[in-house]
Amino acid sequence: MSHLEAVSAFVEGAPPGELSDVVADIKSLTLSEPQLVAQLAPAFEKYNEEQFATVKLPGSSQAVIISSHNSLGDGRYYDVESSSSFAFNHETQTASAVQSHVIEGAQADLVKSTLKLVGSYVKEHFANAAYGVYPIESDSKVAIVIVANKYSPNNFWNGRWRSLYIFDPASSSLEGSIKVDVHYYEDGNVRLLTDKPVTASVSSGTGSGIAKEISTTEKKYQDELNKGFVSLSEGAFKGLRRQLPVTRQKIEWDKVTGYRLGQDISGGNGKR
Amino acid sequence: MAAVDPFDSALDLLRRLNPKHTSEHLNSIISLAPDLTEDLLASVDQPLTVKRCKDTGREFLLCDYNRDGDSYRSPWSNKFDPPLDEAGAGGVSGAGESEGAGEGAIPSERVRRMEVKANEAFDIYRELYYEGGVSSVYFWNLDDGFAGVVLLKKSSTPGGSTEGVWDSIHVFEAIERGRNTHYKLTSTVILSLSATGGSLGELDLSGNMTRQVEQDLPVDNDDSHIANVGRLVEDMELKMRNLLQEVYFGKAKDVVGDLRSVGSLSEGARDREAQRELIGSMKR
Repeated sequence: MSHLEAVSAFVEGAPPGELSDVVADIKSLTLSEPQLVAQLAPAFEKYNEEQFATVKLPGSSQAVIISSHNSLGDGRYYDVESSSSFAFNHETQTASAVQSHVIEGAQADLVKSTLKLVGSYVKEHFANAAYGVYPIESDSKVAIVIVANKYSPNNFWNGRWRSLYIFDPASSSLEGSIKVDVHYYEDGNVRLLTDKPVTASVSSGTGSGIAKEISTTEKKYQDELNKGFVSLSEGAFKGLRRQLPVTRQKIEWDKVTGYRLGQDISGGNGKR
Repeated sequence: MAAVDPFDSALDLLRRLNPKHTSEHLNSIISLAPDLTEDLLASVDQPLTVKRCKDTGREFLLCDYNRDGDSYRSPWSNKFDPPLDEAGAGGVSGAGESEGAGEGAIPSERVRRMEVKANEAFDIYRELYYEGGVSSVYFWNLDDGFAGVVLLKKSSTPGGSTEGVWDSIHVFEAIERGRNTHYKLTSTVILSLSATGGSLGELDLSGNMTRQVEQDLPVDNDDSHIANVGRLVEDMELKMRNLLQEVYFGKAKDVVGDLRSVGSLSEGARDREAQRELIGSMKR
């Protein structure tokens, strides 16, 4: 693996809200090769588009999304709600050069109604989220993107929820994935990473049908995830190490060191 | 800007990147900054690997503390595998002083006797708490006492809907001061859990946590050392198991709940949002 590949992989693996920390570490580790950091532009772009980076447009308090689905090329992206396009700096994660950008075409009405209804759903369930709906693939399909972030670096944890759905009006299919990424790093490093593929059908083909399907799917997934924590705790975790020996008593170490192997040191359950 | 120590940056980076792939990240960092190789290998805990002792047929665990080049010392036979060249063997096997582990260090006779007893004791501990798995204990001499590492590894039976691997790495120093000994214990648990299932999709919950404790304890004879280290490790593992449970299943779940609320956000939350928007719009 080349040095550039190595540092690019670090950028792409940065936990939610910790990109600047990761970049600072990379700079400190590559002082002798300053040209490496200058070559990271493609890695920053990939990270921002895959992680659905959010940015506030100049003069606005509303966060808009960066993704491959609303890219106009040449580092410009657009937002449907504010009917604007903007230049995005992938390294500093800032927007500039805002211009008017009105979507037209076959999916424009579906995009707008989906945007409105998905927006209502998002506001009901996410305290801090950005969302977007975009016509894609030559106006043949519609992409719906939701991203929610919660950063609490003072308490050593950060989290991100990402959903992506592609609606195909020709087949009424809604396909996508939900990904959760949680990082906890107080005196340690613990990471939750999930990826749930979604396949559904929206026969009505309307914005309200799409929003309703997303709402149902995400509720069901969160319920499954909460059950998953319980089954991991009760299953694999419990099976790895007991909280106490079968006798429910701690080991009598003075006996252990005095006894030879195979003898009873814990109330009749010292099995070997 | 004051220059940051690259070693600290490397540790910070490893604390941020996916802990499931610490070994790969460590190799990448070492390729970027080869000067840090020795320090990083000595201070970054990685999942333990298992080897079978040729003499006894029993499994033992590998780490930096029983390694010499590509050879590892079995705690059961006290022999390196593959055998070391006579010329390359370091350390001492007599009563002389040898500080530090690795590089062929074999503990002195007295410390090796304690190591043998510690391996027997932690083998019982392993069976009682882990009901399976592998344990290994390695000791080495210090100028004013001795040090050691207690290793435990358990993997869940493959094939279930949930899988996991637990690695415990307890490094301690025992500084002998007359009737009392000062123990310093640094413990790391590396715990990887995963679940795969139709409605859940893929879920990986992996990481490591480290805690330290220092304590002065009375010592009557060498058996007291084994009992003292045993109690320290047992208490620490109980504490860390509770902590892991809290972080893995409590904290992670809470953060998910903070990201997305299962129930619809209350009117109150919407009012607060409206207020924020109002304030935001007034700032324009």
